[in-house]
Amino acid sequence: MTAVNKLSLKVERGSVHGFLGPNGAGKTTTIKVLVGLLKPDGGSVKVLGQEAQGDRPETRERVGYMPELPRFPKHLKGYELLDVYGRMCGMAEGRRREEIPRLLEMVGLKGREKDLVGKYSKGMQQRIGIAQALLNEPELIILDEPSLGLDPVGMVEVRELMKGIAKQGTTVFLSSHLLSEVEQVCTDVTIINRGTMLASDTLQNVSGMLHGPSILQVGLESITPEVVRAVEALPFVKGVSQSINTLVISLDSKEDVRAQVSRAVTRAGGVIVAMSMKGHDLEEVFIQLISKSQEGGVA
Amino acid sequence: MSQASSARVGRSRGRRFWGIVIYELLWNLRKKKLIGMVIIAFALATLSLALPTLLGGLTGESSVRNPQYVIEGASIGGLGFFLFGLVTAMNSMSSEFEGGTIIPLLTKPVSRTVIFLGKLTGAFLTLVPVYVLLFIYQVIGGTLVYGPQSDLNLVVFVLLGSLLSTTVWIAIVFALGSISRSTLLTALVAFGVFVGLSIVGTTVASFSGQQWVLTYLPGSGATGYTNLTATTSINVTQQGINGTSGATGLGISVSSGTDSIGATLATLVLHPSASVTFFRQVIQIGASGVTTTMVPTYTEPLWFVAAEAILIAAAYVFAFCVLSWFFFRRAEVTE
Repeated sequence: MTAVNKLSLKVERGSVHGFLGPNGAGKTTTIKVLVGLLKPDGGSVKVLGQEAQGDRPETRERVGYMPELPRFPKHLKGYELLDVYGRMCGMAEGRRREEIPRLLEMVGLKGREKDLVGKYSKGMQQRIGIAQALLNEPELIILDEPSLGLDPVGMVEVRELMKGIAKQGTTVFLSSHLLSEVEQVCTDVTIINRGTMLASDTLQNVSGMLHGPSILQVGLESITPEVVRAVEALPFVKGVSQSINTLVISLDSKEDVRAQVSRAVTRAGGVIVAMSMKGHDLEEVFIQLISKSQEGGVA
Repeated sequence: MSQASSARVGRSRGRRFWGIVIYELLWNLRKKKLIGMVIIAFALATLSLALPTLLGGLTGESSVRNPQYVIEGASIGGLGFFLFGLVTAMNSMSSEFEGGTIIPLLTKPVSRTVIFLGKLTGAFLTLVPVYVLLFIYQVIGGTLVYGPQSDLNLVVFVLLGSLLSTTVWIAIVFALGSISRSTLLTALVAFGVFVGLSIVGTTVASFSGQQWVLTYLPGSGATGYTNLTATTSINVTQQGINGTSGATGLGISVSSGTDSIGATLATLVLHPSASVTFFRQVIQIGASGVTTTMVPTYTEPLWFVAAEAILIAAAYVFAFCVLSWFFFRRAEVTE
């Protein structure tokens, strides 16, 4: 059985890249190939421009990985665990002493570092999993289902953590089956099913790929009837509604029409203060893509 | 960038290696199985020390002075070596794969070869403090119970030999763990090998006259005695066998196997020019009862027996480690 087939992934540096797919889509298999836990039958795997296939410590030097439902030796204390992993990452004692408390604080485990990992809750195991993945200050961090098994509060905290990691400039590759999580955190997204890639682009483009961007929101200093009429007269506008000082324009176009709308509003005497395009939400796109691929598979 | 990260990995290889060793040591020394095993070993050592005195007290006999108690009696024994080897090494491979803890380990920037060597070193170093404490305990206990001990300098040889004997089992368990990646299967096969070699192998080899084979297998090996010529045949009655482990007049018992390296080395230091005669056993059932005749088969110098045992142990350690490393390097984590 082929778990992943002809999957070509490109992740932009500095991006938060969501890796979406239903259960059994091949997400974890792909990740295991990326981190050298599995060997592909064919093809090549490069991570950060370096060969990643097989036993490549020099590639893993630049990559942090948190597995799905991470498991750690129960007999080690939280600090000890990070300390031995730090040694394995080649960190000198001074750097470990600086880095480990910082990471423990960052993941919210300060004060619990002397407890045995075996006594940690599931959420705490996830947190220490994130901390150990960040130990060697990786350029790329791969997180496999980091919110799995967490309560809603824990999920929010993990999302905030991911945003914080991305802010520091680390590229985040996030595998998840939670669309809302990807939508809130990611800048780019890849959707796979049955080991085949269905879509891979910026979140905005993927959200709009099925029916084109459907909604354009234009914030105005004030809304006048002239402005509304000018917008309604545009050929690609299906309808216009108002919400305080915002025009919500339904579009019938796959093109980026923001410039045309802007010109029409300005000519009618309106002053634009904000403009944003809103595509279909990711859930809708995801379901349609998965359904299509499954129909294709059945056929 | 690739060259830079390669250089970084190379520069701190020692630190990474010790990271694995410390990881292994911390885990092993807190393992309930190992703690339980140490408690049992100390309990047995205590029993061995105290029982003769207690029995002597009951029968009204005064305590026996034995200056050779530690050198002759202080041993962890074949079963002890096997169990310590099993308990120490079992978690290193199979449990890590079964429990999923191998995943964070294999994804750290350390080569699998370094991980393997670190784990092996960690397992070995776990034994050192345990064995040292056990021997210190037996030396102190032996001195208190049996009076001042002679030849205590030989304890070092017994200790080093014991560590090598156990390392053979560690290497076997490592290999089984790497191949099967199942704790249960590893334990079962290891037990099977141990029982097969210790009981079945020894019995068959001793009675068939082919006990030289045991020299080349892990375990207790073939048993011979010093101070005898190869032409001597000795009749040992059933009473004699049951009465003492070594029949009177046979000299010092020497085993050729990998489990007896420590004792053989100590004997060699005391009797450097001794030879060892190995026997096969012939059991005859007659009107007078069961008679076991020990028929000499071959004689070897003691130094040769000791050197051979060390080399065979080293060869097993090397062979099983290479096998284990081969499978560990290629292991994929699917679950």
